[in-house]
Amino acid sequence: MSASTTKPPASPSGLTLFKKLWPMARPDGHLYVASLVSAPLLVALNLAQPYLLKVAIDDYITVGKLDGLQTVALQYLATVILGFVLNAVFGLATAVAGQRLIRRLREAILKHLLSLSPAWFDTRPAGELLTRGTSDVEALGETVSSGVVTIVMDVLIVFATLAAMLWLDWRLTLCLFLLAPPLVGVIEICRRGLRKHFNGMREGISAVNSYLAERVSGVEILQLFSAEDASSRRFRALNRPYAESTIRSNVYDALMYAAVDGVGSVAFALMLWYATSSFGVGVSAGLLVAFIEYVNRLFTPLKEFSGKIAILQRASTALDKIFSLLDETDHIPSGALALPKPTGSVRFEDVRFSYKPGPPEADILKGVSFEVKPGQVVAIVGATGCGKTTVTRLLSRTYAGYRGSITLDGVELSALRLSDVRRAVASVSQDVQIFPETVRFNIGLGDPKLTDEKLMSAAELVCADTLIRGLPGGLDEPLKERGGNLSVGEAQLFTFARTMAYDPTVVILDEATASIDPVTERLIQHAIERILAEKTVIVIAHRLSTIQAADLIVVMHQGEVSQMGTHEELLARGGRYAELHDAGFSS
Amino acid sequence: MSSPAAPPPPPTPSVWTTLARFTRRYVLRYWVWFAAGLLFLLGTSWLAVQIPLELARGIDALRQTGDLDAVRRSAVTIAWMGVVLIVVRTLSRVLFFTPGRLLEYRLRTDLFAHVITLQPSFFASHSPGDIINRASSDLQFVRAMVGFGILQVFNVVATVALTGQEMFRISPSLTALSLAPVLLSLIVVQAGINRFFTLSNQAQQQLGRVSEHLLASLQGVRTIQGFNAEGAFLERLRERDLLYTETNLKMAWVRTIVMPLLPIATTVSVYLLIAVGGPMAVAGQLSVGQIVAFVAYIGSLLFPLRGLGFMVTVFQRGFNSLERIDELLYAVAEQPEGPSPAAPPARLAAIELHDLKFAYPDAPEKAVLRGLTVNLPAGKILGVYGATGSGKSTLLRLLTRQRNPEPGQILLRGEDGQAVDLTAISLNEWRRRLAVVPQVPFLFSESIEQNIAMGEPDPARLTRAVRRAALEADLGALPEGLKTTVGERGIMLSGGQRQRAALARGLYRDFDLLVLDDVLSAVDQKTEQQLIQTLLELTAPGPDGRRPTVILVSHRLSALARADKVIVLREGGMADFGSHEELLRRCAVYQEAWSQQQEQAAAEPAAAEVAS
Repeated sequence: MSASTTKPPASPSGLTLFKKLWPMARPDGHLYVASLVSAPLLVALNLAQPYLLKVAIDDYITVGKLDGLQTVALQYLATVILGFVLNAVFGLATAVAGQRLIRRLREAILKHLLSLSPAWFDTRPAGELLTRGTSDVEALGETVSSGVVTIVMDVLIVFATLAAMLWLDWRLTLCLFLLAPPLVGVIEICRRGLRKHFNGMREGISAVNSYLAERVSGVEILQLFSAEDASSRRFRALNRPYAESTIRSNVYDALMYAAVDGVGSVAFALMLWYATSSFGVGVSAGLLVAFIEYVNRLFTPLKEFSGKIAILQRASTALDKIFSLLDETDHIPSGALALPKPTGSVRFEDVRFSYKPGPPEADILKGVSFEVKPGQVVAIVGATGCGKTTVTRLLSRTYAGYRGSITLDGVELSALRLSDVRRAVASVSQDVQIFPETVRFNIGLGDPKLTDEKLMSAAELVCADTLIRGLPGGLDEPLKERGGNLSVGEAQLFTFARTMAYDPTVVILDEATASIDPVTERLIQHAIERILAEKTVIVIAHRLSTIQAADLIVVMHQGEVSQMGTHEELLARGGRYAELHDAGFSS
Repeated sequence: MSSPAAPPPPPTPSVWTTLARFTRRYVLRYWVWFAAGLLFLLGTSWLAVQIPLELARGIDALRQTGDLDAVRRSAVTIAWMGVVLIVVRTLSRVLFFTPGRLLEYRLRTDLFAHVITLQPSFFASHSPGDIINRASSDLQFVRAMVGFGILQVFNVVATVALTGQEMFRISPSLTALSLAPVLLSLIVVQAGINRFFTLSNQAQQQLGRVSEHLLASLQGVRTIQGFNAEGAFLERLRERDLLYTETNLKMAWVRTIVMPLLPIATTVSVYLLIAVGGPMAVAGQLSVGQIVAFVAYIGSLLFPLRGLGFMVTVFQRGFNSLERIDELLYAVAEQPEGPSPAAPPARLAAIELHDLKFAYPDAPEKAVLRGLTVNLPAGKILGVYGATGSGKSTLLRLLTRQRNPEPGQILLRGEDGQAVDLTAISLNEWRRRLAVVPQVPFLFSESIEQNIAMGEPDPARLTRAVRRAALEADLGALPEGLKTTVGERGIMLSGGQRQRAALARGLYRDFDLLVLDDVLSAVDQKTEQQLIQTLLELTAPGPDGRRPTVILVSHRLSALARADKVIVLREGGMADFGSHEELLRRCAVYQEAWSQQQEQAAAEPAAAEVAS
C-alpha cells in the first residue's frame, strides 16, 4: 500500500490543481470559450421564456388584445429554437473537450509510468495504478463534460432567476424566500443521510462482488472441501449490510425528490396568498404564471446540485492522485553518449551495489569483476541470494546506482544513452511476459521494421515456428492475458523469439526452473543452444549442458566472485564449483 | 489444461415461463409493498392534478370575482396539498423501491448458493467474469425493472390518465394541439435512448480494452522498457482510446441533440398555448386561470413522459437480464447418483478402473482417456506419471468426481468384497472422505488458518497439518503467523508457500483418499523427500487399522521412486503399471525420463533453492 492510501491526502487547493491541469486543457481553449460564451446566453434565453409568457397573458390575453399576440408567441418560439441550438453547442463543446482531456491524461499517465524505474513498481500494486488510468481519468472527464461547466451554468441560472424574480416583484420574491430555510434543511438532512449510506453501499457492493468473484473462481476447491454451505452463509451475511444501506438511502432519496417537488406547490399557495394581501394589489395572472415557471427553474438545479458537488469532489481527489503520480521522478538516469554499433564486450570491475542504503557490509554485490568478450558465453552460477540476478539487473539498467565500473564496449554504462543500452542488451527472464495481443505483436512488440518474414525467421531460430504455424490464426492468433492459452514452455519459446527478433548484441538469459513437459523441454534446450551460438550471452544457468557450453563460468558466493574458469578447469581445481557439482550428482 | 465445455444446453424456457417463474418465486412475495405503494402513488397523481386546478380556481377568483376569501381558501388548500404531496410521494417511492432491494438481496444470495453447487462442466461454459456480471449488473437491471420499472408504469398511466382527462375537460382541441409535439418527440427520443444504450455497451467494451491494455503495460513494464517498446505501447493506447472516446462523443450527440427534444417539445406546447389558446381566451372560450393550469399540466407531464422512454428500456434490459439470471438460477446440477444415493464402502480395499474412457463434451471426438483398466489397491501410495496431455489430470478429476465417469467404469471395492459404482454414491459423502491438493494452489483472501481449515479451525489439527506440510518455517516469517491474511489468491505468499498452504489444507482433514496433483514441482529436493516421508507415515495403518490411499501425480520421478506402484500414462492409455524398479527395467518412456532428469538434477544445485 502506498502512503497516500493510509493517511488522508492533504487536499491541495482547487486552484493549484487547476493550474496543473490547464496545460493539458489548453489546446482545446476554443471549446471552453465556446461553452463559457454560450452558457450565459442560454441562461438568458431560458429566463426570457416565463417573461414572454407573462407579457402574453397580461398585455394581450387578459386585456383582450389580439393584435401583436402572435409576435410575442413567435418570440417565445424563437427563444426555444435558439436555446436548443445553444444547448447543443454547449453540450458538444464540453463533451469534446472532456473526451480529449481524457485521452491526453491517459496517455500522459502511461507515458510517465513507462519512464519510471522498474523498482518503483515493486511496491505498487498494478491494480491501484490501473485505477489512476481508468476510473480516476474517467471521473475527471465526467467533471469536464457534465460537472464544472454545468455547475457554472446552474449557479448562473439560480442567480439570474432570482434577479429576474426580484426585478418583477421583489416583495413576492422575498416572501418566497421564507420557503428556503425549510427546503435547504430537508435537502441537507437528505444529503447527509445519502452520503453516509453511499459509502456503506459502495463498500458493501465491493465486498459482495469480490467475495463472489473469488468464490466462483475457486469453486472447485469449495466443492472438494464441502464448504458450499458455509460460503453461502457468509455471502448472505455480506449482502445484508449492503441491502440495508440501499434501503435506508432510498428513504432519503425519495424524501429529497418529493420535497423539492412539493415545495413548488407550497410556493404557489404562498403566491396566491400574497396576491390577496395589501402588497399584492398589482399582482397579475401573468406574473403568477411567470413566477410558477421561475420557481420550477430555481428548484431543478437545487435538486441536482448535491450530486454535482459530489462529482466535483471525486474529480478533485482523482486529479490529486493523478498528479502525484505524474510527479514521481524515480527514473533510471540516462547518459548522453550514443552507442551506434555495439560489439558486445562487457566488463565488470569491482562493482558494488545495494538495493537499500546501508553499510558496505550489507551490500548485495561486494566487488564483482569479470569480463565478457564479444561472442562469448558466460555462465553465472551460485545459490539464491548470491547476487547473480543483481549482476544482470545492473547490466540491463533495471537498477541504477552501482559503484565501481561497468562498461559496454569500453564506455561506462551510466554515461550511455539509456535507450542505446537497452537496444544493445536484452534479457529473457524467468518471469515470462505475454501480452493480451496477437502473436505478431508479442514477438515484434509493435516494431514496424519487423516484417512477418523477419518475425518468422526469428521464431525459426528458437524452434517456435512450428508452434506458431500450429495456431489457427498463425501470427494473427490473439494470445490471452499472461499467456492463458499457452503452456509455460510455449510462452518461454515466444519470449525467446521476441529476443531474437529484437536482435540485441548481448543477451541476458535467466534459465527457467519451472517444470515443463519433456517435449517442450527439448525444444527449449535446443533454442537455448541456438541463442548461445548466435549471441554474446550472460546466462544464469541451471542446466548442466548450458554450463558446460560456457566459455567462462563465474561462480558467485555471497556477493563476490569466488571462482572463475571453464567447466574442466573448475572441476580440476576443486572448491565451491566442484562441491556444487558433486552435490548435484548425489541428490 | 484443456477447458471442456458444458453438455448440450437444456431447451431455453420462453420469456413467459421465465417471467412467470420469477414473479411467483420473487415478485409476489412483496405484493403487500406494491399494493400499498400503488395506493400512495394514486394519491400522488391525484394531488398533482388537483393542485393546478385549485391554482386556476384561485387565479380566476382573484381576477374575475375579486373574492379574496375564496382566493385565500384556495391558497390554504394548495399549501396543505403540497405538504401532503411530499409525504405521499416519499412513501410511494419508498414502498416501490424497497421490495426491489429486498428482491435483489434474495435473488443474489439464492443465485450464489445455487451456482456454487454446480459442476465444473457448467463453469467450463460460464467464465467467472460472466457469472459475476450476471450477479452484479444483470441483477441491477432486474432490480431496476421491479422497483423503478413498476413504479414508472403506474406513475405514467396514472399521471397521463388523470392529467390528460383534466386537460381534455378544459379544452379537447387545445389538449390535442399541445400534446402533439410531445408525443412526436417521444418517438424520436425513444429511438435516441435505444441508440444511447447500444453505444453505452459499446463504450464499456472499448473501455475494457483500454484498461486491459493499461494493465498489461503495467505488468510488462520491464519487458517494454527492456525492448525499447514504449512508443508502440503508447500508440496502441492511443488507438484504443480514440475508439472509446469516439463512441463517447456519439453518446454526447444523442444526449445533447436528441434527448432535449422532449423538454423542447413541451415549450413548443406552451408556444401553441399562447398562439392558439390566447385568442380562445380572448374569445371567452376558456379562462386565464385555465391557461395557467394548462401550463402547469404540461410541466407536470414532462417528468413521467421523460421516464417513459427509460421505462421501455428498463423493461427491455430487465427481461434480457432476467433470462440470463434464470439460466444460472435453474441450471441443473449433474446428479448421476439419483435421489437415493448409495453409501461408499466403509473401508476401501481397492479402486477398480474398468475400461475407463473419457472425452470432454466440447471435443467429444478427442478421447482424453482411452480405456484404462487397472486395479488400484487401497492403503498404498500410487504414483501417476505421464507427459502433458497424457490424461493424468482427467483421471484425477474423475476419481474426485469433478467430472462424472460413465457408470460401471470406476468401482469402489470395500474390504467386505462388495463393489459400489462411484457414480452411484452420494457425492457429499465421497467428498468428505477425500482430500485434494490441486496443481495450481487456490487460496482465498482470508487468513492462512481459514484457508487450511475451510471452516471452523481446530488448533490441534492445524498444528498437525502445518507440520506435515512443512509450513512451520514459513509461518514464523509471516507477520501474524497462521492469522496472516494472504491477499487475493494468496498474493502475500511466495509460490512455494502457497503450494505448501494448499498441501496443509489437504492434510488437515481425515481422509480415505488423498489426491496430490503435481504439487511437488515447486519444492526443492530435500522438502520433496521430507513430504514423501510424511506420506509414507500417513499410509501406515492407523489405530483402527484404517489405511488411507494416496494418489501422487508428478513429473519428477525422484518423487515417484518411493511410491508403491506407478501408473504410466501415455496419450490417454496406460503404458505400464508397476513399481519403480519394475518400470525402470521394462518401460521405455519411464527409463528415458529417468535418465534425462538425473542429468538435469546434477546441474541444479542452485535451482532447487531458487524455487523454494
